[in-house]
Amino acid sequence: MSDFLKKLSVRSPWLFRINAGSCNGCDVELATTAFIPRYDVERLGCRYCGSPRHADIVLITGPLTARVKDKVLRVWEEIPNPKITVAVGICAVTCGVFRDGYSIKGPIDRYLPVDVNVPGCPPRPQAIMEAVLIAKKLWMQKLGVEE
Amino acid sequence: MASFLKILLRNVLQGPSTDPFPAGETFTPPRLRGKVKLDPERCMGCRICYHTCSAGAINITQHQDGSGYDFTVWHNSCCLCANCRLYCPTKAITLTDNWHSAHEQTEKYTQVEQHFVPFVPCTTCGQPIRPLPADMAKRIYAHDPDVDPEIVRHLCPKCRLLEDAKKHMSPIVKAESASADKEKVADAAPKAATKAAPEKKTTKQT
Repeated sequence: MSDFLKKLSVRSPWLFRINAGSCNGCDVELATTAFIPRYDVERLGCRYCGSPRHADIVLITGPLTARVKDKVLRVWEEIPNPKITVAVGICAVTCGVFRDGYSIKGPIDRYLPVDVNVPGCPPRPQAIMEAVLIAKKLWMQKLGVEE
Repeated sequence: MASFLKILLRNVLQGPSTDPFPAGETFTPPRLRGKVKLDPERCMGCRICYHTCSAGAINITQHQDGSGYDFTVWHNSCCLCANCRLYCPTKAITLTDNWHSAHEQTEKYTQVEQHFVPFVPCTTCGQPIRPLPADMAKRIYAHDPDVDPEIVRHLCPKCRLLEDAKKHMSPIVKAESASADKEKVADAAPKAATKAAPEKKTTKQT
């Protein structure tokens, strides 16, 4: 029975978005992948959820500013294991144009174990979908389930 | 009801608007700015891309033995603004339409475009330089039929000046330098030219 549930659950990893001081460009692209029928990330079984406690894959945008750092870490802690962290956009991956800024504490992988990176400013919706696919694959490996 | 039928009919005629991307092919707009690419043949090492790169993704360092320089773009830091492409005087940097940027964390520091650009010795004095791209030299010297761009593009800036000075010096100076050539065969060319340079100014004034 638990095996059966496991098999069912891996078909739909739920996504959660954290904005770590992003300019909203990447967030718009994330919304695009979800809400525009042309890209429609829900075809992959993924769905954006409102609570971090329901999430399996967390997408983080932004360079982790000093103001949101503690809040982001707290929200990230609330996501149940096993989880996959995806850094979306060059800000989250390397801080990009904001690198070495006085208010920038990032990049994200200084504080959190990032699993997938998708650079771009912002990345294309298709690139984000590729990242979600990679994240899904890694998540299944963590669960010990083969597709 | 009628409006619903209208929408239904339109959707039936148009087909699904969803891109079949992860399963099938997707579209790429023609002017999409993707990963940066360098043509090392055309690069002159002027470092304008390094200075204009808004994200500090480009790095140019001297090679250890001084035989050239290493050009590096870190795609993970590149914000795809295309400033490098805009300012590159030799059009050595282009942006491809490759947007497949997603990768796992283990590959984070391998997402680079790296080239070793070797210096070529100047054909006259042997100083290590980067030759001008052929088509650019052709364009620059198009107005002057006396100049062979294929020769000039392999000269260092100093030798190019000397070459130009020799071409424009007056017949008297030419004769002088010719006699000087006979006296000192080994070291003649640069000396004659240095003599010629101030002479050239005076001839122009008169």
